[in-house]
Amino acid sequence: MATDGVSLSLKLPCVFSPKSRQYLAVCAQDGRLRVWNTDSKTLHQEYVPSAHLSATCTCVAWGPCRTVKEGPQRKKRKSEAAQVEEKADLLAMGTAAGTVLIYSTAKGSLHCTLDGGHSGGVNCVHWHPEDSLLYSGSDDTNIVEWDLQTGKTRSKWKADRAAVTSLCVSPDGKLLLSAGHVIKMWDLETKEVYRKFTGHSTAVTTLRFATTRPPDSNGLYFLSGAAHDRLLSVWQVREDGKDKNSVVSFTLTDEPQHVDLITSSSKEEAVRLAVVCKDGQLHLFEHFLNGPCKKPLSPSCSVQMSDTKESPMPIPLLAAALGADPRSVLLAYGNYLQPVMENAEINTAERHVCLARDLKTNLSLSMETTVSKVKTPIVNAKSKVLIPGLPGHKAPVVSAPQGTEKRKKDAGNKEMSIAERLGEIDLEASSSQKGAPKATASLQTDNYAVLLMQGLESKDANILNKVFQTRKEVEIKKTVARLPLPAVIPLVEELTTRLQGNPLVACMMVRWLKAVLVHHTSYLASLPDLVTQLGVLYHMIESRVKMFHKLTKLHGKLHLLTTQVRGLKSSLKLFFFFFFLSQHWEEEEAMQEDEGDEEDEDPDSRTEPKANGDEDMEHENESEEE
Amino acid sequence: MVEQAEIRVVHQGGSNITFREPAISSDSRFLLCASGHNVKVFSTVTEECVQELRGHTDLVTGVLIRPSNHLQAYSCSADGTVRLWDFTDGILIKVKTFPPSSEGSIRLIKPSDSLQLLAVHLPQTAGQLVETSDLSAVLSDVSPNPATVAFGRALMIFYDKLSIFCCCASRFSLKENSCSGRSNTFTCVACHPTDDCVATGHEDGKIRLWRNFDQKREYTYRTLHWHHGAVRALRFTPEGSNLLSGGVESVLVQWQYQQESQQDFLPRLGAAITHIAVSPDGALFCTSHSDNKITVIQSCVKVSSIIQGLVKGEAVQTDLMVDPRSKALVLNGKPGHLQFYSLHRDRLLFNLDVVQQEFIHQEGLDQFQVVMATLDGAGAWLATVEERKQETAEAELNLKLWAFDEPSQSFVLNTTVSTPHEARITAVTFDPAARGQTSLLVSCGQDGLFKAWGLTVPSPDGGPSWSCDFVSAYHGLAPQRCCFSADGSLLAVGFQEVVTVWSPASWELLLTLSQPPGNIRDLCFSRLSCSKFLLGTTSCNQLCCWNLLTCSLEWSTSMEVSLLLADPLSDNMAAFCHQDGNTDLFVFKPSEPRPLFSQKAVCSGRVSRAVFAPREVALESCEESSRWLNRSQLYFLTPLMVNKWAKYRPISSKLTLWERGPTLTEKKTSAGETPSDMEEEEEEDSDEEMETRATRSEEAPLETDSAGPVLSRAQVRELRRVRKLDHSWFSSLLDS
Repeated sequence: MATDGVSLSLKLPCVFSPKSRQYLAVCAQDGRLRVWNTDSKTLHQEYVPSAHLSATCTCVAWGPCRTVKEGPQRKKRKSEAAQVEEKADLLAMGTAAGTVLIYSTAKGSLHCTLDGGHSGGVNCVHWHPEDSLLYSGSDDTNIVEWDLQTGKTRSKWKADRAAVTSLCVSPDGKLLLSAGHVIKMWDLETKEVYRKFTGHSTAVTTLRFATTRPPDSNGLYFLSGAAHDRLLSVWQVREDGKDKNSVVSFTLTDEPQHVDLITSSSKEEAVRLAVVCKDGQLHLFEHFLNGPCKKPLSPSCSVQMSDTKESPMPIPLLAAALGADPRSVLLAYGNYLQPVMENAEINTAERHVCLARDLKTNLSLSMETTVSKVKTPIVNAKSKVLIPGLPGHKAPVVSAPQGTEKRKKDAGNKEMSIAERLGEIDLEASSSQKGAPKATASLQTDNYAVLLMQGLESKDANILNKVFQTRKEVEIKKTVARLPLPAVIPLVEELTTRLQGNPLVACMMVRWLKAVLVHHTSYLASLPDLVTQLGVLYHMIESRVKMFHKLTKLHGKLHLLTTQVRGLKSSLKLFFFFFFLSQHWEEEEAMQEDEGDEEDEDPDSRTEPKANGDEDMEHENESEEE
Repeated sequence: MVEQAEIRVVHQGGSNITFREPAISSDSRFLLCASGHNVKVFSTVTEECVQELRGHTDLVTGVLIRPSNHLQAYSCSADGTVRLWDFTDGILIKVKTFPPSSEGSIRLIKPSDSLQLLAVHLPQTAGQLVETSDLSAVLSDVSPNPATVAFGRALMIFYDKLSIFCCCASRFSLKENSCSGRSNTFTCVACHPTDDCVATGHEDGKIRLWRNFDQKREYTYRTLHWHHGAVRALRFTPEGSNLLSGGVESVLVQWQYQQESQQDFLPRLGAAITHIAVSPDGALFCTSHSDNKITVIQSCVKVSSIIQGLVKGEAVQTDLMVDPRSKALVLNGKPGHLQFYSLHRDRLLFNLDVVQQEFIHQEGLDQFQVVMATLDGAGAWLATVEERKQETAEAELNLKLWAFDEPSQSFVLNTTVSTPHEARITAVTFDPAARGQTSLLVSCGQDGLFKAWGLTVPSPDGGPSWSCDFVSAYHGLAPQRCCFSADGSLLAVGFQEVVTVWSPASWELLLTLSQPPGNIRDLCFSRLSCSKFLLGTTSCNQLCCWNLLTCSLEWSTSMEVSLLLADPLSDNMAAFCHQDGNTDLFVFKPSEPRPLFSQKAVCSGRVSRAVFAPREVALESCEESSRWLNRSQLYFLTPLMVNKWAKYRPISSKLTLWERGPTLTEKKTSAGETPSDMEEEEEEDSDEEMETRATRSEEAPLETDSAGPVLSRAQVRELRRVRKLDHSWFSSLLDS
């Protein structure tokens, strides 16, 4: 928008639709206009102007909301018209070639082209808030008023000595601000200069009215920002006309790129301002506009965004729109080609807020949704799966709710006792260590008691795997029988964790568990906190055994079926051969006969082979079962 | 009644847009479809609703572009009228009413130069063919499904279950097909535009092409078979070079006419195809789907856009929720998905794929369905229950807990619990007082248990995950409902007839309440100033209110409450009562004996889903009767018996009345139409409406009887706003 080429190439038009902020219109580097839906965060539509490379779009403005019209003027009590949602529809785009394009987002097509008004590139367009008028300012120092009903220029006047870089129509539609060499305020009725304001040395890029009060009440303020200027100035339109300097200024970290504000209509109401700077930061201001203020105001809250990598890189914010709720801000960030939109809750109590966002997943999610409208939530390996039997699927202990307090205490005790016990094991192991190696070396042992103890003690997976791979019942029995008592509980715990894993491993573990129960039930029964210690194991066994009853039933049925089928197999083969033969004949006959007969046979012929297939399937099932 | 004039039910949206076949405008830019009582005009490019044609007082049963003027469209409705519209501007041009003899459904069929109507009596077995020239002929046994009738060059084909009738322009020649058996009944019919060829679709998935209809019983036919389910839609392209068919497989099949062995397929359209429409130039196909979706397909290869309404599954199984982040309505959508639906824009935002399993489009297949979902107060956690019902075996259940991940702006699966309960889950609810990492979820199952799930401390191999904290039962009774108090300090669980109140902190049973003689149907803690009250409804039509301080029944009344819900932002409660086939709404404060608001016969049928949606900006209405709507709006789903379709309506204050745009008094005389014969069969509606028009300056003719009510300040303010937004110039702009 600025006259100099540098900022022109950098500052890309990026505008939220008015009122509901449903859309974000962005003219990206490739010259295409993209409209993004901020609700679903997807690309709504893309428009390529016919001359998008030569006459690039320099500015975009949304037209006032269209009120959706009613069909007939009569209303029925029953078919009540819905709350008519005002929809943003028309977009005005100023191009470097001096034309203004009007694009309808509802229809997705170019509505009309306004040309013949400017000889230089258009720098800014602004809609009249009520009438169907559009104002455009151009490099040729003129302002053109377009009548959209006819598509012609209504009036055109020279505004400045320099190019007109920015425009703004007052909320009541009576005044127009233009910025060229100086900022001028025009009376739109007469097209005469109402006021002049001087102060900026560089091209003014932003002009916004900050209040909606009438100009003759000393209450009309507007806001201006310029290229390479890290201040936003607020000007007061005073009754006496002595408005020489700006009254308030807001400090920024870089030149303003996107400004959104909520105007105030009275002194008691603060102006809320969201400014996105060129460096990608967002600054939020809140200020009561009431006369001059010497000191430049610093933002009440600054927002930065970074990615989630280990060394965070900043993500530039592109635009921000304030919501009705002071904490919620609609943000657009990323790059202009694929901005990401988000309705963020910002803790305005803090002065600096940094939001971490994962840009890549955000983008990929939104891209997928564009056509299919299906969003796939992230499912990664980190998510936990609780199946019956795993700890956490059921409450820790099945006991009366009154026992909870006690259980917690027990849990505390348990940890201590395990440590103690392990200590004891330690002692015993070391004491028996002297004889043990000799014993294993010299004697041909039939048990792994010592090895198992070592494994349990050191939690060495290698040793344990070796021991648990034993398949000989006798060895298992002897090993367990010779295991010292304090090692029983660690063994059971180890078995429990292994049981939760692969079912094949679990099969082997069951043998060990059986042996433990055979030999050490008396010891286990003597433990005071047996319930908590074996609760997990109990749940698991319970849930695994639950299906056993049904499985045996099924197995029995299958067995019955297969034995019958085996007996019939030879006769069936013969039957099917004849059956297919006969069907073939019938089909041929049916071709010659009336068509209805064929229909009769059709379903039968299909069901028979199917039944056969089912039986085959069952064969397979059965083999799996076995 | 004063309230009625001020607060009214507004149909907000969510109507079925695939009820009838859509019509494509001749330039392929617009798509017209019947949507409840209105006709919606969508842009095929942007998926946007460009225009809504309002005026019918009952279900719209057909839309058709006028052949003689491609900027106009007919629509017909079950209210017995046919209306002619200028659909680009939304102007009503003509209304034709039909005598009450046609109280069944009327369908508009013939795109010939003169308007023809087929009126079908639903209950009786006699139909009427009414022409505009009052020529009428009676046809018998016509089913009310529009797929049963098709028009060819000069003949009209329709069929009954097993026989096909063909009536040519002058005579009715009746040809009966000797088909027998159940599986080959007709499902749809299409006529070739230039040839004497009729295509019929059958229940068993076959398509038959019939020729030689003119000679008696000398017709021939040829069978095409690709579909494995029933053929639901058939359509020839305008040149007749291709035949399009679709069915439950959700694959669009394109057969080349005369070379039927060559087929093109467009698979994975998402849901069963119910209608197919082709643009007049044949470049654009539109397929309507059973999940309330219209897919726009360009030249049978590329899905260019999808117009998606509120997805109707088999039924709305989850409760309605409002997502605090996107402010969208959340309910189950496509099979295995949760849909996020924008309430303000009547637009589906997206479907969240919860089950993440391939959906196989086949009838009679049991697949996972999302049956329950709940969001916690801040929208940080989402719990979903998916269920696969099988007739013989036990139901498979999964409880999934999703965390909203801020950096990626998406839900991330945290924990999957398979078989959380042995039997069906009856209720799932989060502790509303979210305290960061100490969220609590309670689930009740028909196995007689209720379980509390809590977040565990982060383990070294991952973040925090959910695990079961507590399981309890009460005398073997099955819990039906559970409800947290607003601060999360109390949990009420309804075990059939007994209400138990637990303390989530210590999991102690605090008290039991068992006043009502029937099973508990709904349980609700009241909020804010009335938080000492617990309300419950029973299957014996009792609404009970217990005082938790005195542990006694405060009051109870006898009414059949189908739904009870509490406004999260105020202490008001809303009760939908089912009475005499209608639903009444009562809004009350538990502490006050008199209801704040009541409206009889809000809608017909039983309301079983509703939600309070918080307003973004609270209103400051001072009137007693509408104050309960200041903080939030009430939306509810109406069960409409037609097509089992449900749409939701918000109750909103009278202010919506003022948000109407300019009415169409200007009467554009476009394309040589005479707009003179507008038939005004209803009297002008409300005085307020005239007031609006009277205050609007130029274009509206001033009504003489504008003795409106005295406007309140809020109304005046709203009115001013409306006037400011009156951009009637757009219409003229759009014309240019």
